[in-house]
Amino acid sequence: MQILRKTNLKALEKAKKLGAKKVIDILKKKNLTGRGGAAFPTGKKWEFTLNAKSDTKYVICNANEGEPGTFKDRFIIKNNPETLIEGILIAAYVIKAKQAFIYLRGEYDNLRNLLQKTINKVVKKSGVDIKIISGAGAYVCGEETAIIQSIEGQRGHPQYKPPYPAVDGLFGKPTIINNIETLTNVPQAILFNDWDPNLRLMSLSGNIANPGIYELPVGYKLTDLIKKAKPKNKVKAIYFGCFGGCMPYSKIELTPDSICGKNCIIGSYTIIVVDEKQSILDTALSIAHFYCHESCGKCTPCREGTIRVCHLLEKIKSGKATKQDLEILEDLAMNIHETSLCGLGQTSTNHLLTALEFFRKEFEEKLR
Amino acid sequence: MTEFLLELLKKEVKKRGYISEEAVKKISKKTNIPVSGIYGVATFYSFLPTKQQGKNVIHVCTSPTCAIHNSLDLIKFLEKELKIKLGQTAKNKLFSLYETSCIGCCDEAPAMLLNGKPYIKLTKEKIKKILRKCKS
Repeated sequence: MQILRKTNLKALEKAKKLGAKKVIDILKKKNLTGRGGAAFPTGKKWEFTLNAKSDTKYVICNANEGEPGTFKDRFIIKNNPETLIEGILIAAYVIKAKQAFIYLRGEYDNLRNLLQKTINKVVKKSGVDIKIISGAGAYVCGEETAIIQSIEGQRGHPQYKPPYPAVDGLFGKPTIINNIETLTNVPQAILFNDWDPNLRLMSLSGNIANPGIYELPVGYKLTDLIKKAKPKNKVKAIYFGCFGGCMPYSKIELTPDSICGKNCIIGSYTIIVVDEKQSILDTALSIAHFYCHESCGKCTPCREGTIRVCHLLEKIKSGKATKQDLEILEDLAMNIHETSLCGLGQTSTNHLLTALEFFRKEFEEKLR
Repeated sequence: MTEFLLELLKKEVKKRGYISEEAVKKISKKTNIPVSGIYGVATFYSFLPTKQQGKNVIHVCTSPTCAIHNSLDLIKFLEKELKIKLGQTAKNKLFSLYETSCIGCCDEAPAMLLNGKPYIKLTKEKIKKILRKCKS
């Protein structure tokens, strides 16, 4: 796998010879984009922070991977932590940061020792301090402004943007925030001529015999990927994590142009396979429950809406709901999507809106 | 660099299992953050309990992949075995039982955290064994 290739600090050496601007040029030319889900060009992001005027700048490695069904960052920490740390050091070198942070999700506390050992081994005399901050079980802290709040010792509430962290980030200073897969790709992109920008780590789970991490190019046929994963029964639907929405198996395509249909978001390439033995209503409840728990409570549509969605779905499951309840549910889902403050709320009902589009029958069957 | 509140709170949980009123007051003095501010932060995060926990804290994942693999049944089983409901701590303070959002073990579902350590591919038999070990 490309992501497992070691760079042994040679990329950092090369970066220092090239200088900050040329490193950014390479990342731009090689088309490295953020792997956390938003796919923002990494070189551009770094350039904003490089150009921001300040004596102090920071690097944050976002290790708060929390999208249900995603476990690629855990895979990287376990299997190639050296290259990840080198990526952080390169980012720090480019913007002249003396302090970097790894915001490691609380659920991965058991990986902290491994990460600390690797830091001790790799960082040595680089003049950069990399500090691990342990999260404490908050999905929303994967959002870049919330991560900053959390490190600063606040509740992890997302903030309005602009200003963007690139110019006004941690402690008000320009800050680079990249996720683990992105930062691990940085040294590889700098050092290897045959580095392929199209390869992605895909997390596959669900009703399949071969769950795990698959490294495949963007545009790889999703149907072929699922065949590789060996479904146990006839596949009914694919969920792109919780936030990406769902699609019936018969309709899926995965190409650069039409990644997963116009209503879904592929994000961080999380794929949960659901077979015909599963109820879409139960899955909807599980996801609604997740958002209810993870909503940070800052904005009303998400805080109140996610609770109402849960109640309405429970009512439908109990067989007491009417057609009007289903209409209210759909209306509410749309409202939460359109009026929430951050990405969490805005995408929290994608799964429901797509399920109601493709699997409406399963909801209607339960109506009074 | 000043001490990070989140790290102080996590350390306290690691040491004593929860953040007591006493600890909050101590941290407040140390950091100059008011007691209310510290409670405000602690109560935001799932893994920063402010009430005494059992010696063994169980977090069962209920996100979709684990739910597909019957983690909800496992919770019912745990409730019966431990004689407590989800979200409760046993009177003898041996166990606390919670659900959690995805813990990144979807390829080895269903999974749970026991005192922060993941236990994977769970079955009722496996859980029985794990509980027995905790009790001994």
